[in-house]
Formats: sequence, C-alpha cells, structure tokens
Amino acid sequence: MSSTPVPARRRTELGLILLVVLLTGGLYALAGFGKAGNLPANIGPFLGIIFALLLVAHLAMRRLAPNADPILLPTAGLLNGIGYVFIARLSSHEARLQAVWTALGIASFVATLLVVRRARDLERYRYSFAFAGIVLLLLPLAPGIGEDINGARLWIHVGSFNFQPGEIAKLALAVFFASVLVERGDLLSQATRRIGRFLVLDPRYLAPILAAWGLSLLIFLSENDLGSSFLFFALFIGMLWVATGRAYFLGLGAILFGFGSYLSLKVIGHAKTRVQGWLNPWAHASTSGYQLIQGWFAIAAGGLFGEGPGQSNASHIPEASTDLIFAVIANELGLVGASAMLFGYLLMVGTGLRVALRCDRPFEKLLATGLSLIIGVQTFVIVGGVTRLIPLTGITLPFVSYGGSSLIANYILLALLLRISHDTESPPLLRDDAAGALIGQAAA
Amino acid sequence: MNRQIRLIGIAIMVLFVVLFVQLNWLQIVHAPALEANPLNGRAVVKEYTTKRGDIVTADGTTLATSVPTNDQFKYLRQYPTGSLFEQITGFFSFTYGSDGAERTYDKVLTGSSSPFKLPTSLSQLRNLLANHDHSQSITLTVLDKLQKVAQAQLAGRVGSVVALDPRTGAILAMYSNPTFDPNLLSGHDLTKVQANYKTLTTSAGGVLSPAGYRQRFFPGSTFKIIDSAAVFDHQPALATKVYPTLSALPLPQTTNLLHNFAGETCGGQLLELFTVSCNTGFGQVGLDLGATSLSDEAHSFGFDQTPPIDLPYAAQSNFPPAASFAQDLPGLAFSAIGQQNVQATPLEMAMAASAIADGGTIMTPHVLGHITNSQNQVVSTYQAKPWLQATSPATAGQVTQLMLSVVNNPRGTGAGARIPGVAVAAKTGTAQTGTGQIDAWFAAFAPAAAPTIAVAVLLPNQPSANEYQGGTLAAPIAKAMIQAYLAGAAGGGAAPVPAPTSP
Repeated sequence: MSSTPVPARRRTELGLILLVVLLTGGLYALAGFGKAGNLPANIGPFLGIIFALLLVAHLAMRRLAPNADPILLPTAGLLNGIGYVFIARLSSHEARLQAVWTALGIASFVATLLVVRRARDLERYRYSFAFAGIVLLLLPLAPGIGEDINGARLWIHVGSFNFQPGEIAKLALAVFFASVLVERGDLLSQATRRIGRFLVLDPRYLAPILAAWGLSLLIFLSENDLGSSFLFFALFIGMLWVATGRAYFLGLGAILFGFGSYLSLKVIGHAKTRVQGWLNPWAHASTSGYQLIQGWFAIAAGGLFGEGPGQSNASHIPEASTDLIFAVIANELGLVGASAMLFGYLLMVGTGLRVALRCDRPFEKLLATGLSLIIGVQTFVIVGGVTRLIPLTGITLPFVSYGGSSLIANYILLALLLRISHDTESPPLLRDDAAGALIGQAAA
Repeated sequence: MNRQIRLIGIAIMVLFVVLFVQLNWLQIVHAPALEANPLNGRAVVKEYTTKRGDIVTADGTTLATSVPTNDQFKYLRQYPTGSLFEQITGFFSFTYGSDGAERTYDKVLTGSSSPFKLPTSLSQLRNLLANHDHSQSITLTVLDKLQKVAQAQLAGRVGSVVALDPRTGAILAMYSNPTFDPNLLSGHDLTKVQANYKTLTTSAGGVLSPAGYRQRFFPGSTFKIIDSAAVFDHQPALATKVYPTLSALPLPQTTNLLHNFAGETCGGQLLELFTVSCNTGFGQVGLDLGATSLSDEAHSFGFDQTPPIDLPYAAQSNFPPAASFAQDLPGLAFSAIGQQNVQATPLEMAMAASAIADGGTIMTPHVLGHITNSQNQVVSTYQAKPWLQATSPATAGQVTQLMLSVVNNPRGTGAGARIPGVAVAAKTGTAQTGTGQIDAWFAAFAPAAAPTIAVAVLLPNQPSANEYQGGTLAAPIAKAMIQAYLAGAAGGGAAPVPAPTSP
C-alpha cells in the first residue's frame, strides 16, 4: 500500500489548500486593515498556523485516504478560515478559543481517519451509535451539567467548559439510521397493506418513524431546540426515503412535522416567540424580532459588494459570532461574498452526494447521503433563518460559526465522507475487502 | 437509491437558489427601504463611529478632535478650547445632532464627500481598505488669538463681536456671550448629555443660538452707514443739504417727535450729521430719500436675505418693505435711525462695514479656510467670492470719509476707537430697546486706505446712562480687536497655510 504512488488528486488537494491559505490570509489582512488601519501584527504566525493545520490534515489524507475526493477538505478549510477571520474581527477572545477548537477539529479529523479504516466497520456498532446518539442528545437535560442559553437547553458544561452534544449526536444517529435502514429498507418499502381499495401503511413499520418523530419532538419540547429537532427529523425522513424509494414517507414526514410544530407552538413559549418574531418581526422589533431585524439591517447595508472586511460596526448584531455570523459576512462581503459562501456549501453537499452516488455498497451510500444532507439542511436552516425564509433558530453555520462542538463534529463528518470516498475510489484489486464488496453487491 | 440521491441534490440546490433569491431581495431590491427604516440605527451609529477630522483655527489651535474610546461609538468628540469657539464649531452629539461647522462640514470631516479615487500609493490603498481614515480636517479662517481678545474684551458681559476680512469675507473672530462648552453635548453618557441639554435650553439668553449670526437686534445709528450710502447712490444733493439744528424732529402724520439722544441739538450737512450721529438730521434724511430708496439700499446691503455663510440657520436681517411706509412716514424716519422694525445681526453690521471697506462689495462670509486629508495634504482651499455689490466704489469712498470723521473729528462719537498711526473708520450705534435700556453698537474697519479687518461689536441691554454708549462701551472692544489683528498681521502671524507635506 505504501508503494502506491500518490494519486494526482492529492496534488490537486495540496494546490487548493495553498489557494485557501492565500485567500484566508488575504481576507485576514483586509479585515485587519478595515478594523485597525494596518496589517495585523500576527499575520505571519496566522498564515503559518492555518497552513500547518491544513497540511497536517492533507498529510493524513495522503497516508490514510489517498484516493479520496480532493475538493472537500480545501472547501471545509476555506469556510473554516473565513469563519475564523470574522470571529477574530468580532472578538479576539473568541478567536483564540476558535483557533484551539480548529486544532482540535483537525485532530479529530485525523483521528477519525485513523480509527475508521473502513466505513463499513461502523455498521457493526450500530446500536452503540444509537445509544450514544440518544444519550448525547438528552445529556443537556441532566441536572447539574445542562445549561440554558438563550432559552434553549442544548449545552452541557463541566467546569468552565461548554459543549453542545447534539452536534456529535447527529453523526452517531446518521450512522445508526444508515445501518438500520439499509437492513430494513426493503421491508419498509413494502410496508403497505391493501385494505379494500386503499393502500395503508402497516402499523408495524410505522413504529420506527413514529419513534424518530417522538425523539425529535422530545428534543424540541425539553430542550427548546427547534433547529436541531428539525435537522434530526429531516435527516431521518430523507434517509428513509432514499433507502426505500417510497415517496409517501416524505408526505408522512411532512404531516407529522406539521402536527408536531402545531403542538409545540401551543405548548412552548420559546417556540412561540420565535415564530412571532418570524411572522411579524416589525411588531416585536425590540423583543422577539430584534435579532432578525438587526440581522436584516446588516445584510441590507452590505449591498452588492459589502462594506468591506472589518469595516462595519458589528456591535448592533446580537449573537454575531454564532447564530448571526452569516449576517456579518453578508454585511461585510456583500451579496457577492455571501453567494460565494453559499456556493461553497453547495459544492460540499454536491461533492458529498457524488461520493454517495459512486458508492457501490448501500450502507456507505446511505451514510454519505445522510452526512451531505446534514450539511445542506443545517446551512439552509440557519441561513434561511437569518434571511427570514423560515423561523430563526440557534443552529450553527457549519465550519463558520464560533463553537467547538460544532467544528469538531463537522470535521469528523468530513473525515467520514472522505473515508467513504477513498473506499469507493480505491481500485477493487487493492482492496482487502474486495471479496466482501462483491458479495455485498450481489446481495444488493 | 441513486435516483433519490440525485433528487436530494436537486432539492438542496433549489433550497439554495431560494436563499440566493432572498439574499438578492434583501441586499439589492429591499435594501433602500431597510436602510431608510427608522428603526435602523446603523446609519446613525456609522456616522458617529466614523473618525472625524479635526477643526483647527488659522493660527493652528485645535478646536475639535476625535479621541478613540472603547465604547460602541469608538470615538469621542472633544473640544479642547471649551466654550470659546462653540458658536463657530458648533457641537457634535449622538443625541442632539450637530450644529455649526460640525454640521455644515459633516461630510467633509467624515470624508464621505471625498470622491472615490483609485489608489496610487500604498498609503492610499491603506486608506481605501480601512474605513476610519477617510477623515479630513478643516482649517478655519478664525484666529484663536483674536477670538480670545473678543472674549477678554467682553469680560463676561452679554454681547457679540464679529470680525471679518473685508477683502475675502473670511470670518476672523465671532464670539458671543452667553456661550457654552460643547463637550457638554458630545459626551457618550446619555443621561448626563440629556441633563446638560435641558439646562442649556432653559438657561437665559438663548445660549444654543449663536448671537453673532442667529440673533437680531435694533442696529440703531450704525444703520446710518446705509442711509448715507443711499444718499450718495440715490440723491447726492442731500449730502450738501443743510439740515436745521433741532433737538426734536416734528414728524408727518403724527404729533409725535423724533428726539435726539439725551436731548442734544444738532444739524448741518451730512458729514456733520454723521460725525455726531444726529437723529433728527437722519430722520429727515430718511424722509427725503423716501421709502423705496432706503429699502432698496438696505436690501443691497444684505437685509432681508439669508447671508450665505457656511454655518447653519443664519438669520436674516430685516428692513420693512417700502410699501409698508406709505401710511407710516414716522416709521420711515425711525427706520432711518435703525429703530422701529429694523433688525440686524452683528454679522450683518460687520458686513455693512466691510462693504464700505471693500469698495462696495460684500464678499461671501465664510469660516472655512482649507481642507486637509489625513496625510495633512491640502485637498481644497476656499475660494473667496463676492456675495453682493452693496454700493459703488465711489459711494464707498464717500462713506469712508464720513466714518473716518466719526473717529477722528473731535466731536465724533467714535473717538474711543482711535489708534495712533492707524486710520480707523467707524460708526457708533445706541439703539433704544423700549425698556429704558440701550443696545450699544460699534461697526468699524481699518486701516481706511487698505482695510484688512471689519468689526461689529454689540453690547445689548445696557443701562441708558452714559452719553454715546456705542462709543464708550463698544468702541474700545473694536479698537482692541483691530489693534490685535493689525499687530498680528504685521508680525506675519495671520492665517498661516501649512505647506503640503508628503507622508
């Protein structure tokens, strides 16, 4: 294996990483100019550190997943870099922490590649993942370590250390969904029974979807986390549909989601204010609509080309480094920069889905789809929330928002996608699991 | 499965297209409406968080400067000279907006008026990338030392001193009491600023309204400058007409009389009338000239027009329309001695003196000298331009002789402004305000042969006790101003323009 020449795609990756370092460094310099009128003093170390971090990830790729896709890592690095520049521009304290989180994220990335040598190995631990996912999800509810931030209880803190376990949980559940759905997919796709003239879903097969719905509703009701709740449910329904090919699961999901939303609106004050602030922000301009309106003002002030990195006054934007970081970026980089950023996400989702399409084993296919779906849906939920397409929820912008758990989770997600990509792209003869793959294909 | 994966790809692409469309709507289509939304404090804060350039006097004293702070406004506007220049610089307050030069030259100071230019040097590129250094500084025409003389001469009394250069219209000094410290309004402590503002609005004398160019007073006998110019412009024969010596002038259409100040008797030709400031004589001169001539002359001297000074809300001086005197000839006589409904700002009377000084031309009054960018390079310099042709050079010459006589003739009312070796031309004024008090005026220029300074001094509401109060109270102030200015000009200290320096 070590005698195999380095594939051209790794050289492409290295080239793209150099480009990312230049782009991020340039943006950092511009933001420094914009804010303080001179080149940031630490521009040298800054360039060195981002290059070193991405180089570590790249070398790990050469060693551990040489045949994987060359675009995903540089794209994630670019988004991470842009996010860091804007966090540094908002708060030097958060920037220092984010730098540590980024290093930990890269470490998790390498560790994931090291530990997960074959994606299909994950399938074996499906129930461990299910258990871990649910425990992580419900951890913030545990008395003593759970913490309410902005009306949502999705944090745990141990000492001075805060963590959002839901971020990791979504990965564990994606793995679990993928393995279960691959196994039961065929059954679920024939889950209908004919009663008279009507095709009715067999209640036995309804159980898993109701369980997922219940779990997601539970998260929502107990932790007030509309964004994550929607993300889990969308992930599950999406993967269910891909696994079964039955469109009525989508319809059923939509109905259940609508019913759940209606129910929780009647029950939870937090959700009600969120929706109030969404439907009529102007009537609640200083309360529930405040974030949204300030975000809008910032986005509108950006115009086509933005106010320039570091040049606007971000003090008006609440939660500027986390929930509303997209508003800060749209403000300073304008429509052009914000659209480029959206394109970056689209590139990641598209590449992830292409990885899924090229997979020949259904588990990896479904997992890659789920992971791509997480990035796509999460980005849409937060950007759509900031721009008022949907209610604003406290969910992070992948790779960009300030936050350790989010960064680490997203780097693990990235490593998994790249692991799957490597498995798929490696020539079958070189694979030690070639026989297994053939059997898998025959079974599929 | 692949079909569903492709559909998911398409679905996510559609969602992102929706996001893109929404962004377009927010940033392009709907952006102007959002910018204009009254809830949008960004524009205001942006304005207040942008570095403003300094305001500096012609002799190099900093009047206003922005000091970096750590709060959300980023910069605190400070006025090192306190109340001395408030009525010129105005103030810059987050809560109460701005006034004075801060208001007029707001866009210059923040640099938002400077046109976009492609950077040609590293420092220009740096300025383009950083938002806080587009600021430009303005150097005013006012002189710190002259302003200090005005303040010292008023010695705390309510009053106003306006000095300008008749050749250019440049304001050299403009100081009034009462005034206030603009630092009171530029602070960032909202409750404190509000309390300060309340105190200022309720204090006497309209402290927020600079007396020099925003408050009107009866000009009294200083208006005789304009009567005399009207004589030479409209009926030169009246200059040599001998007016009877009277202590009170009988008026048409009434049994009322027009009295001389303190019961004096006076009469004679125009020179004599002007030298001793003879009310009965000038009352008759006004009647002889007629309403139309007098009103036209007042108008050409800038009455009933807003002076185009580069400070906000300048007040118009008023002379009643000619038609209003048709049934009110006594009013015309009283108007000719600057009473009844005639009202003028100290700035207007300084401009009247400067019109005589500058061969009949009133230059556009201004406080701006030049604009410098953050590298201390001069960006633009104020170009002096005429505002009104008040009268002809010939008339100006004739009136100059009258005004010289006021100071130099032993019987002249303005002897208090005599300066050895300098020909001072002037007119006193002692306007009755109807409450037993008088407004003491003095309008002067010097040196008469080639005038470089015109001054108007006003001390309102003085007790009506001394004789010729304009001459005794206001003249020494004007004299001190002229002396200080001419001494400075001789020493070469006036209006230094910094040589453009490259960084």
